[in-house]
Amino acid sequence: MRGLLQIGPEHYLVLAALLFALGAIGVVLRRNALIVLMSIELMLNAVNLTFLTFSRFPLVKSAPTQAGFLSGHTAVFFVIAVAAAEAAVGLAIVIAVFRSRSSVNVDEFDTLKF
Amino acid sequence: MEVSWLYLIPLLPLFGAAVNGLLGRWLPKAWLYAVALLVVLLSFCIGLFAWSEVARLPAEAGQLRQIVYTWFSVGSLRVDLGLTFDRLSGTLVLVVTGVGFLIHLYSVGYMDEDPGYWRYFAYLNLFVSMMLLLVLSDNLVAMFVGWEGVGLCSYLLIGFWYDDDAKAYAGRKAFIVNRIGDFGFLIGIFVLYLYTGQVSFQALKVAPLSLGVASAAAGLLFVGATGKSAQLPLYVWLPDAMAGPTPVSALIHAATMVTAGVYMVARLSFLYVQAPGVMAVVAVIGVLTALIGAVIGTSQTDIKRVLAYSTVSQLGYMFVGVGVGAFAAGTAHLITHAFFKACLFLGSGAVIHGLKGEQDMARMGGLRRLGLKHTAATFFIATVAITGILPISGFFSKDEILAQALNTRAFDFLTAWDPASTSVPLLRPLLEALSRTRLTFFGPAVYLVGTVTALITSFYMWRCYLLTFEGEYRGPPEVHPHEAPWVMTLPLWVLAALSVVGALIVLPSRQLPFTWEHFTEGVFARPRGGAPLERLPELVAFGIALVVAWAGFAAAWSLYAPGRGLQGDERIARATPRLRRALASALYVDALYDRILVKPLWATARGLWRAADAMIIDGLLVNGSAQLVAAVGSALRRFQNGDVQRYAAVTAVGVLILVYVFLVRG
Repeated sequence: MRGLLQIGPEHYLVLAALLFALGAIGVVLRRNALIVLMSIELMLNAVNLTFLTFSRFPLVKSAPTQAGFLSGHTAVFFVIAVAAAEAAVGLAIVIAVFRSRSSVNVDEFDTLKF
Repeated sequence: MEVSWLYLIPLLPLFGAAVNGLLGRWLPKAWLYAVALLVVLLSFCIGLFAWSEVARLPAEAGQLRQIVYTWFSVGSLRVDLGLTFDRLSGTLVLVVTGVGFLIHLYSVGYMDEDPGYWRYFAYLNLFVSMMLLLVLSDNLVAMFVGWEGVGLCSYLLIGFWYDDDAKAYAGRKAFIVNRIGDFGFLIGIFVLYLYTGQVSFQALKVAPLSLGVASAAAGLLFVGATGKSAQLPLYVWLPDAMAGPTPVSALIHAATMVTAGVYMVARLSFLYVQAPGVMAVVAVIGVLTALIGAVIGTSQTDIKRVLAYSTVSQLGYMFVGVGVGAFAAGTAHLITHAFFKACLFLGSGAVIHGLKGEQDMARMGGLRRLGLKHTAATFFIATVAITGILPISGFFSKDEILAQALNTRAFDFLTAWDPASTSVPLLRPLLEALSRTRLTFFGPAVYLVGTVTALITSFYMWRCYLLTFEGEYRGPPEVHPHEAPWVMTLPLWVLAALSVVGALIVLPSRQLPFTWEHFTEGVFARPRGGAPLERLPELVAFGIALVVAWAGFAAAWSLYAPGRGLQGDERIARATPRLRRALASALYVDALYDRILVKPLWATARGLWRAADAMIIDGLLVNGSAQLVAAVGSALRRFQNGDVQRYAAVTAVGVLILVYVFLVRG
C-alpha cells in the first residue's frame, strides 16, 4: 500500500498537464499581449516538467543509462534557452506594436487576415 | 503531260492580291494598277501558252498536270494540291483571265475615284486566283477551296461599300445562301469519299459507283451548284448581289463565279451520267429557273436587276444543257455567255457611270444620241447575241442547248434501268415505277419551256435596250450623260467583238475543227441513254429559234418603240396590275423566304440567345460559378478574421482532436 507521500510520475505529469492547459487557456483567452507571453512561458515550463519527469522515471526500466538520464535535462536546457530568446523577441515585438498602435490588446491586432 | 509551271497561273493573281491588299494603301495608284493588271495578264499569257500545248495534243490525252504538293494525308485519304489543265479547264482559264483582265482594265476607269480602290483590286485579284484554283484543281477538295474562296470574294465585293446597310446586308445574304449550297457540296464530297475513298477526278472517274451512291453524290453536289450558280430555290442572292460595284457584277456575278456550278457538273460529267434521275432534276430546275428569271426580268426597272435576272435565266439554260447530257453545249453557252453578259454588265456600268449613279431605266432613254455611242453600240451587239435575233454567238449556243434538250435520250436510260440492279432496297419500287413510265417526254417538255423562255428573253432584253438607249432622255436635266473613258470602252469593244466571233466555236457543224463540240471530244462522258435522236431537223430548229427571237423583239418594239417612253410599262401595268406588281417584287419569293425561313430562324436564334445564352450560359454557368465562389468565400471569411487567439484556439482544438484520434482511439 502506498502512502500519501509516495510521489510517482503520475503526479508530475498531471501537474504538467494542468500547467499546460492553464497556459493554453491563457494564450487563447487573455487580451493583454504580455499575459499571453507569460502564458506561453507557462506552457513551455509544463513541457519542461514532463521532460524531467520522464528523465527521472524512464519508461524502459531495464536499462537506465546515463545518456537516457541526461537527454531529458539537455532538452530542458534547450527549451529554456529558446524560451528566453522567444521572450526577448516577443517583448520587442510587443513594444514595436505598442508604438504604432498604442495598445497591447491582442484582439485588436487582426492584420493577419490580409 | 507533267509540267512544273502550272501553279503560276493561280499563284500570280494571289501574289497581286497580297501586294495590293497589304501594301496597296501606300503604293502609288499607277503601280497598284500595274500590279493588279499585270498579274492577270501574265496568268492569261501562261494560260495561252499552256492552251496551245494542250490543243496540239490529242483531245483525250490533251492535258497538262502538276501536283504542286501534298496538301494533307490522313489514313487512306491523301489530298494533293493538284492542277489539271485540259481542254475544258484550259479554255475556262482563258475566259477567266481574259475577261478578268478586261474587267480589271475597265475597273481602272470605274473605280478610279473610289477611296477604297486598293482594297477593290486586292479582292479582284484574289477572286481571279481562287477562280483559277477552282477551275484547275484536279480533286474535289482543292476545288472546294476555290469554291469557298470565290464565295468569300463575292461576299467581300458585294458588301464593298460596307457603310451602306443595304449593301452590307446583300453581301451577308449572298454568303449565307451560298453556305446553304456549300453544305450540300461538302456532304457530296463526303459521300463520294465514304463509298470510294477517293476525291480526285482521275480516281473517281474509274471508281465503280452504285446508282444510289452516284445519285446521292450528284444530287448533293448539285445543291452546291444551285447556291453558287443561283438556281431555284437558292437564286435569291444574285439579284441582291448587284449592290456591289458594276465590274464585279460583270466578272463574278455574270461571267465567271456563277458559272462554277455548271463547270462542276460538266467536270463531273462521268458522275452525272451515272445518275440519270439527278440529271433530269438538273434539267428541270434549270429550265424552271430560266423561265422564272426571264419572267421576273420583264418587270424590273433597275437596269442591273434586269441583267441579274437575265443571268439567273441564262444560267438555267446552261443547267438544261448539262442536265440533258449536252455537256459541250452547256459549257459552250457558259463561254459565250461570259462574253456577252460581261459586255452587257460593263455597258450598264458605263451608263451608270455616265449618269452619275442612276440605275433606274425610267430615268434613262435616248443615251445613244447623247454621247454614249460606244456603250450603245456594244450593248446593242451583246443584246443581239443574247436574244439571238441574228445568228451570232448566243443564238447558236442557246439553240444548241434547246435542240439537244429536244433530242436527248439521257432520260431513256432511267426508263431502261433494270430495277433489280440497285443495291439500295428503297430505290427499287421507285425504279420499277419509273421503268413503267415514259420519261422521254422530259426532253421535249424542257425544249418547249426553254423556247418560251427564249421569247421572253428576247422581249425583256430589247425592252432594256430600247428603254436605255433609244427614245427621249427622261432623266433630270442637271445630269449630263457622258461617255466613259477609253479604259472602259476598250473592254466593251473587245467583249462585243468576242460576242460576235464567239459564234465560231459554237457553229452547229460537227465537222469544223475549231467548234467547241469537236474540240472537247472525249473530255465529257456520254449520257447512257444513247446517241441523241433527230426529232426535228436542225434547220427547222434554227428557224423556230429565229422566229421566237424576232417575236420577242417585235413585242418589245410594239411596246417600247422609240418615242413611246414608258408607255409600254404603263400599258402592261394597266392590263395586268396584280401580275405586274408581283413580278416587280420578284414574285414575293424574298418575302416568302423571309416569312418561312428567316423570321423563324431569327426567332429561334433570339430564343436560344435568351434561354441558352443569357440564362444558362451567362446566368447559370458564368455568373452562377462566380456567385458560388463568392458565397463559399464569404462563409470561409468568418474563419480568417485575423484574430491570433482564435487561430490558436482552433489549432488547439485541432491538436486535441488529433491526439484523441491517434493516441486515445488508435
